[in-house]
Amino acid sequence: MEEQRYAIEMRGICKSFGSVAANKDINLNVRPGEILALLGENGSGKTTLMNMLSGIYKPDSGSVFVDGREVAINSPEDSKKLGIGMVHQHFKLVDVFSAADNIWLGDETSGPVLKKERYNIIHDMAQRFGFDIDPRKKVYNMAVSEKQTLEIVKVLYYGAKIIILDEPTAVLTIQETARLFDVLRRMKAEGHAIIIITHKLNEVLEISDRVTILRKGEYITTVDTASADEQRLTEYMVGRKVELNIERPVVDKTRPLLEIRDLTIKNDEGAVAIDKVNFYIRGGEILGVAGIAGCGQKELCEAIAGLRSIESGQMIHKGDNIVGLSPKAILDKGISMSFIPEDRLGMGLAPSMSITDNMLLKKYDQAKGPFVDRKTGRAEARQVIKDLEIVTPSTETPVRRLSGGNVQKVLLGREIKAGPNVIVTAYPVRGLDINSSYAIYDILNQQKKDGVGILFVGEDLDVMIDLCDKIMVLCHGKVMGVVHAHKTSKEELGLMMTGALDLSNKYEDRPAGIARDSRIEETKEVEE
Amino acid sequence: MKNRQPLFHVVKRDQAGPGRQLLAYVAAVVLALAVGAMLLSVQDVEPVTFYRQMLTMGIPGSRYPWRAVENFIRLFVPLLIVSLALALAFKMRFWNIGGEGQFIIGAICAGWAAMKLGESLPRPLVVVLMALCGALGGGLYGVFVAALKVRFGTNETLLTLMLNYVALYILQFFAETKADWNFFLDLESARPKFAKFPDNAQMLTIPIGPFNLNLSLVAAVVLCVLIFVYLNYTKRGYEIAVVGDSPNTARYAGMKVGKIIIRTIFLSAALIGMAGAFHVSSAGILSASVTNDVGWTGVVVAWLAKLNTVGIVVASLLITVLQFGCQTASTTYPSIDANFANLLQGVILFIVLAADFFTRFKLVTRSKTGKEAAK
Repeated sequence: MEEQRYAIEMRGICKSFGSVAANKDINLNVRPGEILALLGENGSGKTTLMNMLSGIYKPDSGSVFVDGREVAINSPEDSKKLGIGMVHQHFKLVDVFSAADNIWLGDETSGPVLKKERYNIIHDMAQRFGFDIDPRKKVYNMAVSEKQTLEIVKVLYYGAKIIILDEPTAVLTIQETARLFDVLRRMKAEGHAIIIITHKLNEVLEISDRVTILRKGEYITTVDTASADEQRLTEYMVGRKVELNIERPVVDKTRPLLEIRDLTIKNDEGAVAIDKVNFYIRGGEILGVAGIAGCGQKELCEAIAGLRSIESGQMIHKGDNIVGLSPKAILDKGISMSFIPEDRLGMGLAPSMSITDNMLLKKYDQAKGPFVDRKTGRAEARQVIKDLEIVTPSTETPVRRLSGGNVQKVLLGREIKAGPNVIVTAYPVRGLDINSSYAIYDILNQQKKDGVGILFVGEDLDVMIDLCDKIMVLCHGKVMGVVHAHKTSKEELGLMMTGALDLSNKYEDRPAGIARDSRIEETKEVEE
Repeated sequence: MKNRQPLFHVVKRDQAGPGRQLLAYVAAVVLALAVGAMLLSVQDVEPVTFYRQMLTMGIPGSRYPWRAVENFIRLFVPLLIVSLALALAFKMRFWNIGGEGQFIIGAICAGWAAMKLGESLPRPLVVVLMALCGALGGGLYGVFVAALKVRFGTNETLLTLMLNYVALYILQFFAETKADWNFFLDLESARPKFAKFPDNAQMLTIPIGPFNLNLSLVAAVVLCVLIFVYLNYTKRGYEIAVVGDSPNTARYAGMKVGKIIIRTIFLSAALIGMAGAFHVSSAGILSASVTNDVGWTGVVVAWLAKLNTVGIVVASLLITVLQFGCQTASTTYPSIDANFANLLQGVILFIVLAADFFTRFKLVTRSKTGKEAAK
């Protein structure tokens, strides 16, 4: 076979931030018409490496070749001129602009005037590549998958021959992912070189031709996908053998701890976010909540924690009504909520404060006298650091200096330390690598064995199917059904998430989410 | 494409130790003084002698050195208290730039207490009542903004800024309106003119030899300690830090964020009002320029000190030395006036900010990266 020229080649790339080496001597190459998966755990330097291609960072040393010629990429503009386009994990779009204007904005040839034809030009161009976008639609009205499509159209419009996608499937449903992969295959057939960053092994195996693996900033190897399997890739990625099974211990379940009936909640804009939702959680079970991002998960968590007022419905905890109680009172009942937002620091932690201070967050008021009891806080911080193997210089380190996994461990560690009987946790493994994720699953399973009821709002369906006992699927705030995790499939969940399948009235005598041994009848009002 | 490289790029440093940071600040001050020296030379003023006079504040060789110290304290105390109070609000990320207004309202309220009660009550009681009135007036003036923010989400920066002018014009109204009800004015004077306070409204002093120690300095030192403890060790201080860091987290931890904001801003504004009261009580008279820009300078001091209590003491001392020193030194040099202090202050702030940048980042030049790349 004739040796084909690489569309892009990186040789011996090094990059460090301060004393931290993010990339050490990395080699990578892609041929035109090839999909390369860049695989690695979080913090292994994938995004840093790609940001050097897109001109956001400059390598400290090493060289980059495009079509066999050595180039220096000093700015995103250089990168664009070389035909490199990157779809970032967090979309770079102007919310209040239309789709067409977002593309027009970065086009140097378009001139200073917003021409009327831009809608047609962009529509035609998108059609040509086989995309269906409405050029007049404003970005804030778009679903996540539409925004992603727009990002891809944008880089294609700028004439990119090399397309980099940073964790593109993290926000998509299974059906949307399939559609994205079709698009990628089509682009590949047209001779584009594609690099896709991911840490989902099944996707790597499905879409890529070759896989380049990084670990802790170092180049490990590049293998042909055809000759690889999940177990081997994981070993490359983690550096040792890893058990890929998530446990699902069977525990005696109690009567429902938390019951939600006909709950309706509005979001910040006043639209209905959660619509007449019913569900219940027993002690010793994990109830998963699946749904496309922004389907009311956040509002549901906030309502349970008392942070958001509800429109109507009942929330019964151990037979006590908790509607209208203050966050503090709900906390005191043993309901713990931890929500990991996209920036991972927004809720539940004070990022500039020390681990000690963050441990005290929910109990600083219990100390006698006017002073904060930092001694207890420090002892607890030490305990949690030890129990959960948190990597930190000291208990007094500000939380924002810790890496993502450790931040989440601090949060979860504090919540568990408080000895809750209901844990509401949303995206607890968001952005974590395999090891840290498994550590978190272990923590949750341990709590489950101790008889705690857990509401697990998640993103990764594979994980939810393995970890949860039951899964409730939300679509636009409505319950599409509650299914047993060991009896369902990803495809079924995906259909429910998009609203194509409604199992909420599968059993006619009993709508989904209403317990047979409900305690609602014994409900009594409690004083705050 | 040409292999073009930028001249240098910015690289993040590892965390700098406190020693390095301190060194950077000292260097910044020295550098600012050097810039000032150049400006002085241009105006044919010998910088060394000027700086010597400025830094010693004309105390050596003076016939009444204690007088200079007393005047220095009068400038220092309001600045120290206002800076501390602002730091309290800034720590909560509440951008109170209404120090001027709160200070004026505090001064007016204290003036009211002085004129109405000064004749009839004993001196210690009048002074304390003046301080309390000033605190209450300033505090309520600040709480107004905090309440609007909590209730309607208004922007505190704009509101506190605009209320400064409201307060200023209220004061001017009292200063210029000759009327029977206006008890602030001197009845004997034909022109409108503020009356001197009754003797019982003069700030208490502790005589140490010929030197009279202004009691407000003692109060300010006590306040420093109290605020340090309040911010760093009490539950209320903890709440302020959490609300400042992440209001969502605070709410989620069961804190009543609105209540905390209102309480803290009342405290901050009340302290500023009290500083106003101390100031007029020490001066013994109201004046239209009562604030001496302390509400603005306080913002500078609080930021120079990074909201750190000890830092605030140091920075407000430094700034007062600059201002008071320039004032005294300028009596010998007609071409230099007190504005030179403001200029130096600006240069210092600017250079300290730059020094801050260089403690966190470093510049790597093209030739160096080029060599590394060639390896």
